[in-house]
Amino acid sequence: MYNLGTVFRFEFIRTLKKKSFWVMAMAFPLIIGAVFGIIYFSNRASNKAAEDTKNQKFSLVVTDESGLLNKTMLAQFGASESSDKQINIDKVTNGTLDAYFYYPKDLSKNTVEVYAKDVGIFNDGRYQAVAKALLQQSVGLTVDSQKTAVLQDRVAFNAATYKDGKPYDGIRAAIVPGIFLVLFYILIAMFGNQMLVSTTEEKENRVIEMILTTIEARTLIIGKILSLIALALIQVVIIMVPIVVAYVFFRSQLALPNIDLNNLPIDPMRITIGAIIFVLSFLLFTGLLVSIGSVSPTAKEAGGFFGVVMIFIFGPLYAVSLFISAPTSPFVGFLTLFPLTAPIPMMLRNAVGNLTPTDTLLGISILAVSAVVALTIAIRIFRYGVLEYSRRIPLTIIFKK
Amino acid sequence: MVSSTSVETVVKISHFRMDFGKKTVIKDLSFDVKKGEVFGFLGSNGSGKTTTIRALLGLYQPTSGELLVGGKTFSVSSGIKLGYLPEERGLYKKESVIDVMTYFGQLKGLSKKEARTSAEAYLSRVKLSDKAMTRIDKLSGGQQQKVQLGITIMNNPEMLILDEPTKGFDPVNRRLLMDIIEEHQRNGATVIFVTHQMEEVERLCDRIILLKDGVSYAYGTVAEVKSQYGNASLDDIFLKVYGDENEITEEAE
Repeated sequence: MYNLGTVFRFEFIRTLKKKSFWVMAMAFPLIIGAVFGIIYFSNRASNKAAEDTKNQKFSLVVTDESGLLNKTMLAQFGASESSDKQINIDKVTNGTLDAYFYYPKDLSKNTVEVYAKDVGIFNDGRYQAVAKALLQQSVGLTVDSQKTAVLQDRVAFNAATYKDGKPYDGIRAAIVPGIFLVLFYILIAMFGNQMLVSTTEEKENRVIEMILTTIEARTLIIGKILSLIALALIQVVIIMVPIVVAYVFFRSQLALPNIDLNNLPIDPMRITIGAIIFVLSFLLFTGLLVSIGSVSPTAKEAGGFFGVVMIFIFGPLYAVSLFISAPTSPFVGFLTLFPLTAPIPMMLRNAVGNLTPTDTLLGISILAVSAVVALTIAIRIFRYGVLEYSRRIPLTIIFKK
Repeated sequence: MVSSTSVETVVKISHFRMDFGKKTVIKDLSFDVKKGEVFGFLGSNGSGKTTTIRALLGLYQPTSGELLVGGKTFSVSSGIKLGYLPEERGLYKKESVIDVMTYFGQLKGLSKKEARTSAEAYLSRVKLSDKAMTRIDKLSGGQQQKVQLGITIMNNPEMLILDEPTKGFDPVNRRLLMDIIEEHQRNGATVIFVTHQMEEVERLCDRIILLKDGVSYAYGTVAEVKSQYGNASLDDIFLKVYGDENEITEEAE
């Protein structure tokens, strides 16, 4: 592996110097930041609008055939009662009354009718909110607080589940080993295409003969892969920083779930298995990309094959619920053990804890063999395929050599 | 000039055959190159010169036969200081001249400092110092050729293999190339020179081989080959050997 460091540094630094890398690197966090920003300002605007609505006074007439409304509350709000529905609707229509609410006799069968003067699409909702609040609060006064909480679905539950005699929270236990799945997705989604371009670059630039008479093909490829991994890590950091900042400092404003990171379950075995599957999946995928790049004359032409590989790798995401609800089904078994589809099912099933020891051993063995075969073939194809500058090289020629 | 009998053989090709699928490009080729000589490798387009060079450098695996450099099959770890200018040429287009030259210098075994110093010295020699920080794709074709030539020789190679080195060169760069070949020959380097330019062959080469139909058609010192054809010029010999091919090609076209 003489010169590996030189190749790594060259590939790493020149990519860091590219504007396109930083555009791509910053685009994702900027989009996340923009989404968070929209959520934040939207929530703030909604809260403000709700607060404004609560404080706004408007002329209101109510017809209460249900008999549920509290008279004192109506008086506090400044609402007057009337039994003539049509007259009040006419008043709203000609603008002499702001709002009229009609509460029918049997609310379980009939609809509360709200008639009101238009105050803009963002504010028109206040009338319905007031009509609902008047009804809920009036009824709430006649029922004790516990029953109110039940009826309003405000009762809190705290579930404790046990596995092998110890407390076990399946969802929280999946978070740490599940990180490998997220990392894999980011790595492939962000750098798959770049890896392809990187593989075809020497061929497209006609520099490959000078390179291959100076260093081993293996050294060049491994140097490129290592540099892409390092770049991917930079990318992950760039993505994670705004997420962590948003979570730590703006969690309540962004309505993000509160996860107690201090007591996150750590299962060393599951994390180790997740790491092994992640590394092998990455190597397998890399081998496939290098092979595709080497047999294709240009990165553009390689793109078609790249799409097929992406379908195999990420297609199983459409069956996510199946991996969790029916892990013993033959279809899930096939997707778990077939090398091209194995990464997602294996990492996901490992994260949620339904990857059996047999599937683990078999799956890891198949992935390991596939990764070694893919990389070996990839280097061979690269070695002999890159000299076919203008045509796609037939695989028969590669394997005959 | 070196004597062909008393000097160590650095390249030895024996019964080399190269098939691509059903097509045989080289049928049976044997020759050797002596240390310190300039060896001309001649042939018409498609006669298998580049294929032979690529097989010699391990870029192709021969169908059969033996191709040795310094007594062993060439590999990048065989310790031979090689300068190879391939027929298909190019560089990392988006990188600066100095970065690309430094990178190749390092790959050829120089330290980063040595590679940079060597690159700067060469650029100064060929009057491209002001282009050191320029991206390769911003250079003219002739300037790119100079850079590529610089990369080829920056490790002071003991063996130079130049595959049609003057292809596309303007007269200035051609002169530069000839000067460089002569310099390296004086310093004891072995040069294998694939070309169509007979004038350059007569000026530089100690021995030559003419390749036709996948076999050696003529092989020896320039004088020996000439004497086989009644002391005709190499241009005339080339026309005589390959003229039929060209006529057929023209008719077919």
